[in-house]
Amino acid sequence: MAGSNKEQKSRQKPKRERFTKSKSTLLNDLCFPKFCCAHGGREMRKVFAIARKEFGSFFHSWTGVMTAVMFFAVTGIFFVILTLNFAQISMDPRSAGLSSFPNISQTHYVFGSLFLNLNVILLFLVPLITMRSFAEERKHETLELLFTYPLTDLEIVAGKLLGLIWFFEMLLVPLAGYALVFYWIGGELDWGPVLSAFLGFWVLGMAYLSAGVFVSTLTKSSVMSAVGTFGILVIFWMMDFAPMSGGGGVSVVVNAMSPLRHFRNFTYGILDLRDLVYFAFFFFYFLFLSLRSIETRNWKES
Amino acid sequence: MVTIRKPRSTEGLVRFESVTKRYGNKFAVENLSFEIAQGEVVGFLGPNGAGKTTAMRILAGYFSPTSGRVILDGMDLFKEPQRAKRHVGYLPEVVRLYPDMRVREYLRYVAELKGIRSQSIPMEIEEKISLCGLTDVERRLIGRLSKGFRQRVGLAQALIGDPPVLVLDEPTTGLDPKQISEIRALIRDLGKRRAVILSTHILPEVSMICNRVIMIHQGKVLASGTVRELESCLKDREAIFVTVPGAQYQETAEGILSKISGVENVRVVERHENEIQFCLETAQDEDLRPEITKFFVESKIPVLEIRRDQLTLEEIFLKLLKDGWFQQRTKIEAKAET
Repeated sequence: MAGSNKEQKSRQKPKRERFTKSKSTLLNDLCFPKFCCAHGGREMRKVFAIARKEFGSFFHSWTGVMTAVMFFAVTGIFFVILTLNFAQISMDPRSAGLSSFPNISQTHYVFGSLFLNLNVILLFLVPLITMRSFAEERKHETLELLFTYPLTDLEIVAGKLLGLIWFFEMLLVPLAGYALVFYWIGGELDWGPVLSAFLGFWVLGMAYLSAGVFVSTLTKSSVMSAVGTFGILVIFWMMDFAPMSGGGGVSVVVNAMSPLRHFRNFTYGILDLRDLVYFAFFFFYFLFLSLRSIETRNWKES
Repeated sequence: MVTIRKPRSTEGLVRFESVTKRYGNKFAVENLSFEIAQGEVVGFLGPNGAGKTTAMRILAGYFSPTSGRVILDGMDLFKEPQRAKRHVGYLPEVVRLYPDMRVREYLRYVAELKGIRSQSIPMEIEEKISLCGLTDVERRLIGRLSKGFRQRVGLAQALIGDPPVLVLDEPTTGLDPKQISEIRALIRDLGKRRAVILSTHILPEVSMICNRVIMIHQGKVLASGTVRELESCLKDREAIFVTVPGAQYQETAEGILSKISGVENVRVVERHENEIQFCLETAQDEDLRPEITKFFVESKIPVLEIRRDQLTLEEIFLKLLKDGWFQQRTKIEAKAET
């Protein structure tokens, strides 16, 4: 708005410039709600600026690199073990207690299991990614300045979350390499379930990141933030162990709330709208909680 | 020098309308109302915990007041914060910046967050870097900068986007004398075309930089006026500090001091192992030191030190509060305004 070029112009012919300017902003406010088209373009740029900074901060320290290396190592080992296991079973089904071999789907054995294992890795990965997002800013007290810039709370949280999601997506890219390696060594890939498992893992990761960011807004300490996030995610993970039936209403509710149960559908290649809605709700619910949490500065004594 | 666009209204650029900030039962700021026009440098004066920082944080849009309005250039700061916040640059009391970012990178980030068009960002950053004297450190990590430079980065960040209102919370604390004088000159210069609000508890600083002073105590405006008005009220009072050795002299010394005519408000300021320092207030025109020394010598109390000094701001505050001077003063001002 206040670019120097424009200001100098407005100084030369103040009246005309001011009139047209105010008219156009008025028109913008009337026609375009926030976050859309011409007016929203600038708002989105701010969100991207925060996201870029957040993403970049992973590479200012070793945290980001260490996290990525750890993730690649673990997923790689899982992939190799699963593939070798499968190879062994395919050569000697009896050793695995199977009478005949062809009933086993290669894709499901290797990738279905890989993604279900990744779900557990995510419990450790997400706290590492999200722990610094708000906790670090609170520790350095840099939030004070951030709140005085012309930004809405939503833009701040959305920007942070977006940056973390970018980093998470960056980790996902090499996973596609495993599918290619599997294809190259002669595996018969059923692409449908692999792609849907990818989609499911991506959606699950975003939902967990949202929860992690919320925990991070609550504390000044990165460690506390990581431990808290881990705790919440473990509780969600444990919901998977609730019995399907026999627990009455409670068991139905717990099962419906279990992220893993919804995620498992993706690994079978089942795309159910209910699962997507569940993860969307998970994501936006914690986003909403984060917004509420940073709003407390208005009434809480710091 | 950068140009600032004309304000929409001829009224004050900044207007606080009975702003209250409450934490539970505690009022951080109570019913605060004042107005600041363009081209004014206004000093917020007050003892620690008077509500200066709270008022400034409200003005910077950090948090919203419990009640009341803040009007910025005709816009309500909390009804349309997105637009109004573009008009304020804020330098917090303790400048906290991202230690792992480089100066130029950080200023670019701030410019993006303030919604400056991408074409004008490089020029904007260049201008602020040279204005705040950051050319030599622009590629260094903020975490490695000295406090003075960090303060300047803080100032540069406030100036990005050329906001017509600048809010500076104790801009000179923790700087060395050379840096202080540089920052003061810069603020004076900036204040020519902007509305600058700065808080301080250094009295001489106010007379050096500010056109007007708003005194705050316990979250309320006690008085506001030009620096000269304020000074004329402050200069007629002075303090005399008397140091005697040993606690055994305390009562006698106190008795003697309070008996001398012209002496008011005798109290113990400092108490060391075997030294007690009293402070007493006198009018400016008479020097009571010879008389005090005489009495002390007569009662055989040794005097380690006797010194005449101007009252510090806190002392004046306490004194004036006690006298009800402020109340009278504000009443007079209110009458003059109506």
